[in-house]
Amino acid sequence: MRIGIDVGGTHTDAVLLDGDDVVETCKVLTSADVESGIVNVLAQLQEQSSLTASADSVMIGTTQFTNAVIERRSLRPVAAIRLGSPSGRGLPPFVGWPDDIAKAIGGVTFELEGGYLYNGSILASLNDTKVEAVVDELRRLQIEAVAITSAFAPMNAAPELHVKQCIRKALPHCRITMSHEIGRVGLLERENAAILNASLLHFSDHVIDGIEKALANAKLTCPVFISQNDGTLMAVSFARQFPALTFASGPTNSLRGAAKLTGLNEAIVIDIGGTTTDIGVLRGGFPRESNLVVEVGGVRTNFRMPDILAMGVGGGSLVNADGLSVGPKSVGHKLVKDALVFGGSVLTASDIAVAAGQADMGNTSVIKGLDSKLVSSSLNVIEKMLAAGIQKMNPGKTQLPVILVGGGACIAPRALSGSIQIVRPDHCDVANAIGAAIAQVGGEAEKFVSYSDMSREDAIEQVRHDATLKAVSAGADLNTVRVNDIEEVAIPYMDNGSTRIRVKVIGEVAELNAKTKAASAP
Amino acid sequence: MKLQQHHLQDLASGAAFLATGGGGDPFLSLLCAQQAIKQFDAAELISIDALPDDAAIVAVGSVGAPTTSLELLPSIDDPAIAMRAFERHTGLNIDAVVSFEIGGANSLIPIVAAAAAGIPVIDGDGMGRALPEVQMMTYSIAGISPTPSIAVDYAGNTATFEGITVLEYEEQIREFAMARGGMVTTVEFGMNAGQLRSCLVPDTVSLAISIGEVLRIDRGDAAQLIDRLQPLFAPTPYGEMRILFSGTVADVATSVVGGYDIGFALLRSDRDPTKQIKVDIKNEYLTVWDGPKLLASVPDLITFVDTETGQPINSERLSFGQRVTIVGIGCPPHFRTADALAVVGPRCFGFDFDFTPIEQLLA
Repeated sequence: MRIGIDVGGTHTDAVLLDGDDVVETCKVLTSADVESGIVNVLAQLQEQSSLTASADSVMIGTTQFTNAVIERRSLRPVAAIRLGSPSGRGLPPFVGWPDDIAKAIGGVTFELEGGYLYNGSILASLNDTKVEAVVDELRRLQIEAVAITSAFAPMNAAPELHVKQCIRKALPHCRITMSHEIGRVGLLERENAAILNASLLHFSDHVIDGIEKALANAKLTCPVFISQNDGTLMAVSFARQFPALTFASGPTNSLRGAAKLTGLNEAIVIDIGGTTTDIGVLRGGFPRESNLVVEVGGVRTNFRMPDILAMGVGGGSLVNADGLSVGPKSVGHKLVKDALVFGGSVLTASDIAVAAGQADMGNTSVIKGLDSKLVSSSLNVIEKMLAAGIQKMNPGKTQLPVILVGGGACIAPRALSGSIQIVRPDHCDVANAIGAAIAQVGGEAEKFVSYSDMSREDAIEQVRHDATLKAVSAGADLNTVRVNDIEEVAIPYMDNGSTRIRVKVIGEVAELNAKTKAASAP
Repeated sequence: MKLQQHHLQDLASGAAFLATGGGGDPFLSLLCAQQAIKQFDAAELISIDALPDDAAIVAVGSVGAPTTSLELLPSIDDPAIAMRAFERHTGLNIDAVVSFEIGGANSLIPIVAAAAAGIPVIDGDGMGRALPEVQMMTYSIAGISPTPSIAVDYAGNTATFEGITVLEYEEQIREFAMARGGMVTTVEFGMNAGQLRSCLVPDTVSLAISIGEVLRIDRGDAAQLIDRLQPLFAPTPYGEMRILFSGTVADVATSVVGGYDIGFALLRSDRDPTKQIKVDIKNEYLTVWDGPKLLASVPDLITFVDTETGQPINSERLSFGQRVTIVGIGCPPHFRTADALAVVGPRCFGFDFDFTPIEQLLA
């Protein structure tokens, strides 16, 4: 028995799952403090099913941290320490950041000797006298959060660990994020991710405390996990340290939830919300990842993010009186007040859906007078937009089936031209929460290796080992950890088989798996 | 023209368009140029015709494996350190700098150098595109020696190369780069303006800025965007530009052979599923085949753009399922002489055929 919770911008959804079966679902409005929204949704779930109290684990997806960065709120100043001198002169930490967020977080930077080169030799030796001087300065400035980044840390993190220990000894209360814990190869992007993470640590305490209080309030003492951007889970204690790993977990959860609800592992998923529609692609049951550099709030990072096409059409989209355009303007979360069927005065896509008999909500009698030409032409516009999005995202020769999820899924026409198979699963309005509930625990590691120094098999085994350690420390059961993806990228101009290897592993949640085993033991 | 901050982003994307899939991601060079202009002053972009024949010029750029600079960051004073060492070594006073190649990351390094040294950068380059080796520059084809050359590593240490042939230099500079962390900055081809005038591919910096401007403003459907780019090429030495193909990437297979990312991409047509296009890759896009029929080959330019956004796609980022449009552009005449084709023709990339200009292949 597990509970999945999705804390969205408008709604907080919860689902209760028994194995693969959906037992109950419910929806409440998100509260500003997160905590009372979760308290409310759990109270309602408990009311619907007394089994709620016996859940073995709770999985929570939240957009709180992404929104904090985008809106530049709840961020704390960070001292950025880079170990890579004498390289990168003139490109200090925070280089290329938008001014407003650099101002909110930045200011204190240190560039010291340290780090490694691509071939494992030392870039420059750490200078302990300089490290001590940095520690003194941190003490003098009363810095609370620090991000440490060294060159080629994904290959060798020793310099980051050493500097962390020096700071920890002198300033035990200082919060520290090391870049190798949070990002992949690409120093600036990894450094940015570490800085964003460090600046969210204070807010993370607040959010995680709120989640823990809400669960205690509901008398749930089982393990709690938070969803990451790649569709895997982290233990709540781990999430407290790495809030930035939740960026973009929302679209990932809806894709994973769609796979679960339909049993389809290769499909296009259309998640229609109130204002926007996200289109993504499932490959092997997981979201296809974006190849491009991903900016969060204007800051360049290299997080693992799903490849999403966002379009400005949703359940609350405004419909033009001529029926020739829908969106991108929307009434958003005011749909339940402003739409015609809810007694408002705005013609929305949801009103059109009700008029066409695709949905049943609010007072259906008020839209009886709508011109049928207006209805059919608006539906036609929506169909054309969705069809164009599907065509853009469909990867290969064959047309993949399309799964419709999200609170606004009713605005999609019953059929799409081109004989595309459309699947509308039950519970599609809480796909995000289901995606959170079914997630597994993952780990990822990366190395530059030369196949002239070691065999390909040994090299991959080494990286797989590192990834497994990460997954287990994030809460996976070692016995269930398996390889999910191996990526090899040959490095141009290097004449010795130099290759970047990245391995991703996933496994079952350790506690859940132990319970299942215990239950099935003779 | 003064090169201001807003020109740099456009230059970077225009340079990615002219890079024919290679040339390295210009992002770090762009950051360096942005910081250099902030710290020093905007660099002056001048025509070669603004200089007297005896003005002293050097080419400035980076050599090595671009992937390594993902971690070993470049420094904004690297080019200036190399130039000062070059001046000390040769006793020359450098009057202006010029780019190795307009395609990719090296389009922006001369601007970093020019801003730091307070000298102008020349509008033009030695390739008009991206190509992998030093003997492929028009400067070398015209008989100018790349040496004496100064290379500077990440720590600011310099090395001097001289008294060697261009091919020996190509080998030694690459060895030096790999021994010093993967990427070095070099100052090469000490020459006077008279020599450069005879071999420069002219006005490519301002062309790249104009291309970048169109890519930014008219971002969207590739066919429409190409229509707007076409007039930019009309007054240049480049040949005609045309769309060769539009479809979906069905397979990409590359591996490192002899230090290069070598392989091919297969593409499927949107209109005719039986039609298959093959593109050979060696860092850059080298050929386009429609079955047995060749549509274009190096040194003519072959560029991939995203069909929906019109933005150029580097060969490292090409992947299964992408919807792409392939554009062919006739190369500048500098590369169509017998001497040039002996170092940049298809045979130099391991193909068993001679160069035929794109306009004849498509006639």
